[in-house]
Amino acid sequence: MHARGIPGFPYYVGIASLADVATRGDRVCVLNILGGESRQVTPTSHVFSGGNVVFGTSPGRGGQKLKTAIGDIPVFDNVRSGLDAGHAFNTGVVYLPPSGVRDGVAELIRVNPGLKKIVIVTEKIAVHDAREIRAMAQGAGVDVIGGNCLGVADSWSRVRIGGALGGDHPEETLLQGTVAVFSNSGGFTTTIAQYLSTEGWGTTTLVSSGKDVYIHYGARDFAHALGNDGRSRAAVLYCEPGGYYEHGIDWAKPVVACVVGRWKSKLTRAVGHAGAMAGSGDSAADKERWFMAAFGVDALFTPDNPVVSKRGAVVTNIAHIPAALTAVMALSGARPDFAPRGSLTLKPWLANDHGISLPAELALLPVTAPEPYAAQIAELRRQVGAVIARQNMKDKSGASVMDARTQVTSVHGHPVLELALQPLQANFALPLVHEGAGPNDRALLDIAVAAEVNLVGDPVLAAAEAAREAGNSPNTVMAAAAAIVGPKRVERALACTRALIDLFVGTPLKEGHHFDFDLSTIQVDAATRALFMAREDEAKDSHPEAMLRAVRERGAKSVFLNLLLRLDGPLSRDAILAAIATTIAWGPLVRKRISRLTAETLPWYLRLYGVMVGASIPAKHHQWGSLAGISQAERYGSWTMADLCFLAITGKKPTPEQALPLQILIGLLISNGPGSISAQGAKGAVSADGPQTPRRVQINKAMAGFLTHTGYSHGGNGFEGMAFLLEQFRGVDLRDPNDPNHGIDLKAMAVAYAQRYKAEKGAARELGQELRALPGVHHPVFKGKPVNHDPRERFIAKFLAERGATNVFHAFYSELVQALYDAGATPYVFCVNVDAVIAALLLGVLWPDYRSGALGERDLETAAFNVFLYGRMIGAAAEIDDHLNRGRNMDTRTAEANCAHVL
Amino acid sequence: MQLTGLLHGAKLLGHVDFPTSEVLGPDASEDQIQALIRRHGQIFVKPLFKGGVGKKGKAGLIGRATDLAQALAEKERLYFAEHRHGNVTAKANGVTFEGGVPAEHEIYFSISDDTRFRAPTITLTHKGGIAIEELAKADIATVPFDALTGLKAFVIANALTDIGAPREIISPLVQHLPKLWELMHHYGMTTLELNPIRMRVEPNGRLTPVACDFKCGFDRDDPRVARLGLPDHLFAADVGAFEQEVNELRTHQGQSDVFVINERGTILAPTFGGGANSLVTEVLGEAASISSDFGGNPPYEKMKQVARICYRHFLAQSNVLFIIGGKSNNTDIHETLRAMGDALREHFSTHGATPLYVVVGRGGPNLVRGFGALADTCEALGLPYRFFGFDSAISEVVNYAKKIDEWMKAGGREQIARHIGIAATT
Repeated sequence: MHARGIPGFPYYVGIASLADVATRGDRVCVLNILGGESRQVTPTSHVFSGGNVVFGTSPGRGGQKLKTAIGDIPVFDNVRSGLDAGHAFNTGVVYLPPSGVRDGVAELIRVNPGLKKIVIVTEKIAVHDAREIRAMAQGAGVDVIGGNCLGVADSWSRVRIGGALGGDHPEETLLQGTVAVFSNSGGFTTTIAQYLSTEGWGTTTLVSSGKDVYIHYGARDFAHALGNDGRSRAAVLYCEPGGYYEHGIDWAKPVVACVVGRWKSKLTRAVGHAGAMAGSGDSAADKERWFMAAFGVDALFTPDNPVVSKRGAVVTNIAHIPAALTAVMALSGARPDFAPRGSLTLKPWLANDHGISLPAELALLPVTAPEPYAAQIAELRRQVGAVIARQNMKDKSGASVMDARTQVTSVHGHPVLELALQPLQANFALPLVHEGAGPNDRALLDIAVAAEVNLVGDPVLAAAEAAREAGNSPNTVMAAAAAIVGPKRVERALACTRALIDLFVGTPLKEGHHFDFDLSTIQVDAATRALFMAREDEAKDSHPEAMLRAVRERGAKSVFLNLLLRLDGPLSRDAILAAIATTIAWGPLVRKRISRLTAETLPWYLRLYGVMVGASIPAKHHQWGSLAGISQAERYGSWTMADLCFLAITGKKPTPEQALPLQILIGLLISNGPGSISAQGAKGAVSADGPQTPRRVQINKAMAGFLTHTGYSHGGNGFEGMAFLLEQFRGVDLRDPNDPNHGIDLKAMAVAYAQRYKAEKGAARELGQELRALPGVHHPVFKGKPVNHDPRERFIAKFLAERGATNVFHAFYSELVQALYDAGATPYVFCVNVDAVIAALLLGVLWPDYRSGALGERDLETAAFNVFLYGRMIGAAAEIDDHLNRGRNMDTRTAEANCAHVL
Repeated sequence: MQLTGLLHGAKLLGHVDFPTSEVLGPDASEDQIQALIRRHGQIFVKPLFKGGVGKKGKAGLIGRATDLAQALAEKERLYFAEHRHGNVTAKANGVTFEGGVPAEHEIYFSISDDTRFRAPTITLTHKGGIAIEELAKADIATVPFDALTGLKAFVIANALTDIGAPREIISPLVQHLPKLWELMHHYGMTTLELNPIRMRVEPNGRLTPVACDFKCGFDRDDPRVARLGLPDHLFAADVGAFEQEVNELRTHQGQSDVFVINERGTILAPTFGGGANSLVTEVLGEAASISSDFGGNPPYEKMKQVARICYRHFLAQSNVLFIIGGKSNNTDIHETLRAMGDALREHFSTHGATPLYVVVGRGGPNLVRGFGALADTCEALGLPYRFFGFDSAISEVVNYAKKIDEWMKAGGREQIARHIGIAATT
């Protein structure tokens, strides 16, 4: 049952010519006009078509408007209301969800007697509904295009109806010419039009047919309208396997048919186009044959074998369409519509092989993209640093992750075990630049931090000392100091860093230490110069000159410092700090490993590092010109971070043998992942300031957040292992714990203790009491085997053994776990855990001073706590920076539903 | 989504009261089988396949038994039978026992949507029981009918008259066959085929059509299928674990169609657009692990989820991450590439780095911003990349990705592994 349409068709077809598919006279009603896709697409279509959408519908949203550049489109609850308001239309566009499409089509047909065409954009329409849509439209005499299509367009009349042919800028692709396009693929409808322009062919009418099982406007219908369209000299048809739509068509004009999908016959289910599954006799190969028969050619067209006839050609690669069309048309003496625009050769817009060598045919150099893309890419290149998407960062970290199996935490991809073997100054940069620092950057970092450690004359020292005198724990002392290093204290250093980055953005500088970089192109204006120079009240500050001297002495290189030195004037301490920070950050910034925000805040962290280490040194050691008796020049010129930390806990410079265990200890303690209390404190502090407004986040306060989230149980407990060892070695004549010939019978000591412990255990059980835990022994993860090991402890033990180093306390622990088992005090050989290693190494370092009486037990406890804080300070910096870059405001809070009230 | 055999087919036909031969499942007891033989004199033993498997008879996969011993022997022979048809190999898991229906007439009947008519169409012959392709055209009626009016008795009557069907079968078929349209149209089927329908002689001499085999296809986009309450495992042969995960994200905004081409493919090619899918599948062939269409302007979160699943299943073995589509019309390239880049970053952080070359060919809204976002990710992960705009031929970009894959296999993978500081494993 179908209405009377064009004679000769066994079904209804109303469109007689392609010129009638999309005309300036068509008036359009869009169903679900306020839906997500329509809201984006309809305004562009409306503007391109000179305002052809008379109204749209959206049940319940009647009265609203869809804004467009040429005026608002009214929205009604239903089609009838729109018609009643006087908005006549002949074309319906359906953007409804799949389940509503059939009813929408029924509404258009039943309510509007003037309806002639419907374009269905929606995909995934049930075949059941497509059957009924077909039947309804056939009965009513309405042409349907789609479903699952991108609609129709006309390059002559500049009209597009339905979907987004030509994308955001249809005028770029819909170039007037003489070729009609019919395509099963919406995306390829536009792509084919663009490809045609490379051979100088423009278009008349473009039909995106969709490729559902039901193609309501098929190739046969298109062929008829093509024959009647005086504008179209030829057509391009793109089709896929499945269906007999293209079978036995008499093409009145030349056609290039592109059939893609031979390989698809191997698939057993449709992917993409629901109708692109061959049944019997309608595979891609079958379709190629249909077209070859229709065009009188005996082979496919390829550039190597350009088989064409006046009637057409068959291709299987859409890139061959333009050449095939030109060849077909040439046989009739027809020339392209305009001069070729561009080409289809491979043109990479962006590429980076990271120095990896590729064969020449693959190592294609980037080319300039057409406008406006070239300008956008140029702008992109000016953007320096990584751009990181924000997300809820509660209990998450982009900086650290703990491997549940090995319990080893990694920071920016570097396991702490690996970090423990790196010089400390390399690790201080890592959390912020995501890469370990090389020798040049380490030297600069040593200078930058050394310049901040001596706090003499600074209120920071008074705050720290007051906190210490009040009996606070070491973390609280440090927090008091950090609290003073607020935004105003780093304002100029950060401004200098920003200015330096601005000066070098867009230059080919790859690394901050590329000293020979040509600075002649860098112009510094007066205001910026003034920013870098010392103020009058800073004239007596000895820091800048001492820092510059140290840079020279250490042979460190910095392009940025080089630039500042050319400015010919007394540099401020802030400017030098900024230059050092920018030197360290520049490479990672250019490689987009870090964001600009991270680079710009680096001086704050460097200053905090120095202040926090300095605050752990009692006030009496801070003197004008010297720290604990070490002169400024010596400290700046040759001291490392490990030296400074050793100085802080012992009051003297370490030998290399003494510095190594401290470096290992601090490295091991850097991070325990985002779940640790210290990390939570840091993250919470950032979250509370609101990282979405990063300039308001107080990094010093975030450091205080980390510090207030450490304490006698988290950080201070490092002393427990030492206390245990002191108890075991009390009265033992141990001169040098690192001497392999210590002469102590460790096994006997261990056995004696194991027996005491077993007895204690029995007694405690009798009394129903809990036995005290043995510090450094056992681990909830590394347990249950006959003999157990903590892999972190093994790693360090192996490293020390390979260096021929001895630690008597560690050796005692190894004897102890075996003795405990032998005595029956433990069910299997417990592991020596990483805490034991830390206690053993630290006591190994401090033992001589403890033995001599220079350090008391209280000092040992403070030292253990401070070593923890030095390490965790690095990890906290990583978490703070990560949360600052990725987090959202107040994202660490816990939803009420996850909180509990207890009685 | 296809279903064959009477074990479930008989239940479906029961929804519209269409008679079927009596059927027992694989767990039938010997007593039940014995009783079935007693009632029908002869039974057929057929292997139980999942999905659409045809031409079992030709493959010798239909057993016939007149006593229990024969039935059990056939059960043993056919229980795990393998059947190859075209590109598809199916493995049986179980058998059905179906009562024989003595009859003089065998009918072939099917309903499907015929693209020549663009309408639901019946195919009917009274010379059924054999492959329809082997019959003369004059013996087959192919008749489209109106979907709104439905399959009416007169359509059947006219068709049978046209092919000269014996008079005695016309009335019973006219009475029963229209019911099958109800089953097909209202339960989300795309095809329904009964072959053979055997015309059983009733005690009163009348004939009753009895379905002796069943085959149907379902429309995965039609929610009406759920009305049948069929267990998911019936279609398990169609969908692997990866496809199942992606299918769960299947909504009308943003497609998520996937098909695993080669479990060991070395190019992971998330593809945008049905046309691009056909082209990419064609050119990459078995180098690709999946054939996909993620077009349709997927929102950020959905795209990220889809990418996450793709990476989890295929990234470790992949040499090339190849993101490819034409010049998109409305898909926001920034959103899709940003989502895929973020998912890649997350994958590296949770599963470790893997040597990879990233090739992109794309056009559309916010193209450069999208390229910028993905380039940032590649830079951060140390991965080499090459992005092509829409002014490069998409087919050439696909070929380029293929060449990169070959270079990776010839030592490039090790080079990248060294660059990003990991061991190269496949």
